[in-house]
Amino acid sequence: MKSFQVSGVLYRLVVFATLLFVITPLIAVVWVSGFSNKVISFPPQGYSFDWYVNAWRIDTFRDGFLLSLKVSVLSTCIGMLVGVPAALAMVRGNFPGKAFVSTLLMSPMMIPGVVAGSALYVYFIQFELLTTFQVAATLPGLIAAHSVLTIPWIVRLVVASLVSNGSQIEEAALNLGATPWTVIRRVTLPLARPGLVAGGLFSFIVSFTDLEKSIFLVGPGSTTLPIAIVNYLEWNLDPTVSAVATIQILMIGAALVFSDRYVKLSRAF
Amino acid sequence: MQGPLQLGPLRPNGKGVSMLLSPSLIFVVVLLMGPLLLLGRYSLNHFEPGQFMVDEVTLENYGRFFSDPFYRGVLFRTIGISVLSTIICLALGILPAYYIARVQSGKLKSLLLIMVILPLFMGNAVRVAGWMVLLADRGLLNAFMQALGLTQEPVQMLYTGTAVLVGIVSVNLPFMIITLQSVIEGIDRPLEEAGLNLGANHLQMFRRVLLPLMMPGIITGTVLCFILAMNAYATPLLIGGPKFQMMAPAVYEQITRSSNWPFGAALAFVLMASTLFLTVFSSWAMGRKRAASAKAHA
Amino acid sequence: MNSYLDFDGVSKRYGAFQAVSDFTLPIHEGELVALLGPSGCGKTTSLRMLAGFVQVSEGSIRLAGKDITQLPSYRRNVGMVFQGYALFPHLTVEQNVAFGLEMRKMNRTEIAPRVHKALSRVRLDSLAERLPRELSGGQQQRVALARAMAIDPAVLLLDEPLSALDARLRHEVRAEIRQLQKDTGLTTLMVTHDQDEALSMADRLVIMNQGRIEQIGTPDEVYERPVNRFVAEFMGKSNFLEGAVEAGGRFRSHLGQAFAGDAGPCAAGVPALMSFRPERVQLRRVDAPVADGMNAVQGKLVRFTYLGPLIEYRIALKDGVEVTALLPNTGDLGLSASGASVDTLPGSAISVQWQAKDSRLLPA
Repeated sequence: MKSFQVSGVLYRLVVFATLLFVITPLIAVVWVSGFSNKVISFPPQGYSFDWYVNAWRIDTFRDGFLLSLKVSVLSTCIGMLVGVPAALAMVRGNFPGKAFVSTLLMSPMMIPGVVAGSALYVYFIQFELLTTFQVAATLPGLIAAHSVLTIPWIVRLVVASLVSNGSQIEEAALNLGATPWTVIRRVTLPLARPGLVAGGLFSFIVSFTDLEKSIFLVGPGSTTLPIAIVNYLEWNLDPTVSAVATIQILMIGAALVFSDRYVKLSRAF
Repeated sequence: MQGPLQLGPLRPNGKGVSMLLSPSLIFVVVLLMGPLLLLGRYSLNHFEPGQFMVDEVTLENYGRFFSDPFYRGVLFRTIGISVLSTIICLALGILPAYYIARVQSGKLKSLLLIMVILPLFMGNAVRVAGWMVLLADRGLLNAFMQALGLTQEPVQMLYTGTAVLVGIVSVNLPFMIITLQSVIEGIDRPLEEAGLNLGANHLQMFRRVLLPLMMPGIITGTVLCFILAMNAYATPLLIGGPKFQMMAPAVYEQITRSSNWPFGAALAFVLMASTLFLTVFSSWAMGRKRAASAKAHA
Repeated sequence: MNSYLDFDGVSKRYGAFQAVSDFTLPIHEGELVALLGPSGCGKTTSLRMLAGFVQVSEGSIRLAGKDITQLPSYRRNVGMVFQGYALFPHLTVEQNVAFGLEMRKMNRTEIAPRVHKALSRVRLDSLAERLPRELSGGQQQRVALARAMAIDPAVLLLDEPLSALDARLRHEVRAEIRQLQKDTGLTTLMVTHDQDEALSMADRLVIMNQGRIEQIGTPDEVYERPVNRFVAEFMGKSNFLEGAVEAGGRFRSHLGQAFAGDAGPCAAGVPALMSFRPERVQLRRVDAPVADGMNAVQGKLVRFTYLGPLIEYRIALKDGVEVTALLPNTGDLGLSASGASVDTLPGSAISVQWQAKDSRLLPA
């Protein structure tokens, strides 16, 4: 059965033009990163990968990349540790005020980064004044802040996975003689794997690319990759920073494509 | 109910639930709610340049904000850009969303979705870098135009409101497309066919059948894009330049550069409050409009 | 009580809502009992109480002499086939069937032959390596059956086993399941809302309505001798005449006529219903004599509907009461048995007759 399609080359043109508009900055960045000449010209004088090497040599970029990697991995781990049990409680638990708890768990996604970042900054400094323990501008502080960011993503994606499996399958396992812990181990968690993987990957992405919150919390001398890019852009525009941005694009792109195999991305929203 | 069912961890309640939920809730409360409350408290403090901050309860920060034409301007500019960019996102996003939702080939659909979702998660730093590469005086677009002989001198495209608008739209458009797309997918195709069958042309069918059914998605999408635009930081900072001030960079400025915590906190809360207010107001206004039009059709 | 499976005064209450009340049902070893009723009647709740997924509010359940009411579900030896089959999507057919045996701590050498036997019983051994999503609905159902039976349960529970299958398959699968059950001698409790299923498969039926048991009996008992209006209407179709029982066991309808009938559970002087089945009705001309042992009432033909193998007649009696007659299609609109021809124009007068022994008096 042929369903109706709005006819017209014009329609299709508009659609693809819009999509192209969305992708264009990314394409520009990737393309420029390969220009051999430092000054951007059209057409480019040649191509080379020199800038990638150059980027690695620049301290802020190299250290920024490593710090971002470290923080993202650690905060994802923490997020999984606290988020997966929370997801289990939300789906299978029986308690009043579920809507309220759900709002609380999702709130980090809804509070703007600048506001959350500044709030955390003054909070940490106040804490330091009271206890002489420094938290602001430290690595643990940064990791803690990022972990909060990961919680809503993990909870949301794991909950979606658990809900789609339904409780009948768990009942079947119980009926066949599995004790509750065995059911969790052999049925619930394996079946929630798509949600777990997607949750982990999305957390990593959200943490790695965070900008507005992190600017308040990095200490002097340390920086994350997005911050390094933004700082560099305030004064310079050349293929080096494009190379750095391209690295980020490739990493995030790989993580998204990989995660697509576990959770159909359009369903995540 | 525990007891003979003895489902233990499969049906946690009471103690079990608190154990499962506490770690994450502690994180959120301690590292988000607490700080927000503190920031709110600080917005009521007095700032003495030279001193750090003086404990008081005063509304002077908010007063200063609303009485200073500069800051009022910042707020209105932020709201203006946000509203404008949201409208543009809506207008530009509907067609691609419809196309993707209705496309027949599964492979094409996946490809298109990835094309939309990829930019979503790239991070603002990368996107801003992209627009700068394109629009700067020594950027790609200028080089392109000069190479073609269209212009002699570089045309300034950055540091204007238009550039900021373009940047924000390109960031938020994918959100709009994804939201609308998933709502349209949920609308059965036979409904559209029924409309056409009963004599409506495409435009009428869109207005009378699709649009009402898409409303929840449209509302979600516009709210999302609006909030994102209000809170934009990197885009206005780098693409707008020092002359084009918006709220989020101003907050950062006050808290870290000027160390004026009370005023910065006030700015932050004005930002949150105006975002919240406009969001709620528009949902309410939309709701009333729908109720009115429903009455008209009854 | 030496029945194999016993529900004794079982009830389930959710707050103020009584889902099941006073459910008492002895089931004998090797029987297939069907719980039948409209949705919301409590049949699924009762099944789930036996499986251990719903906690009993009152009463007790005994299986093979043991009280299992307080046992958790994973310690009861009942095998359940769920309505949606609930196969483990991440395990192969073989692994699905083996699951229950693994839970019973059998080792691999013991499990393999049992799995093989269970799969060959449902004729699926060639698909042992497949995943559930690669199977058709009918095949999935067979896997679910094999999985439940592999553990050698004391009772087999079937929750609407045929509802997810398309109509074509249902007939075949019905017979297969029944044969399987007979061959293995497994005591089985089945829940269904489909009468045909229940009538064709069960040794006994339990008709339920709003949480209570209306009647327990064999298929023909329940069909031929319903104990009340609900059962009479739920099982097939029935015609009803309102009235009261007179002393002497005769029934006088509101229309004034008296009829003979099987008095059943009705006392004299009490309002009652006379019920008789459409397929036991004969149509005659109004001037034809009424034979002995027949009840007769006059009316006007409203319409007849051609149903292929059957023809349905709708007749209006005095007072607006309508009755239905269902006659086999013998090529002459089903009226050859009448002898003299009956006028089949709508509006013509007609005599509705049925044997007194085919009528049943029910409480109103």
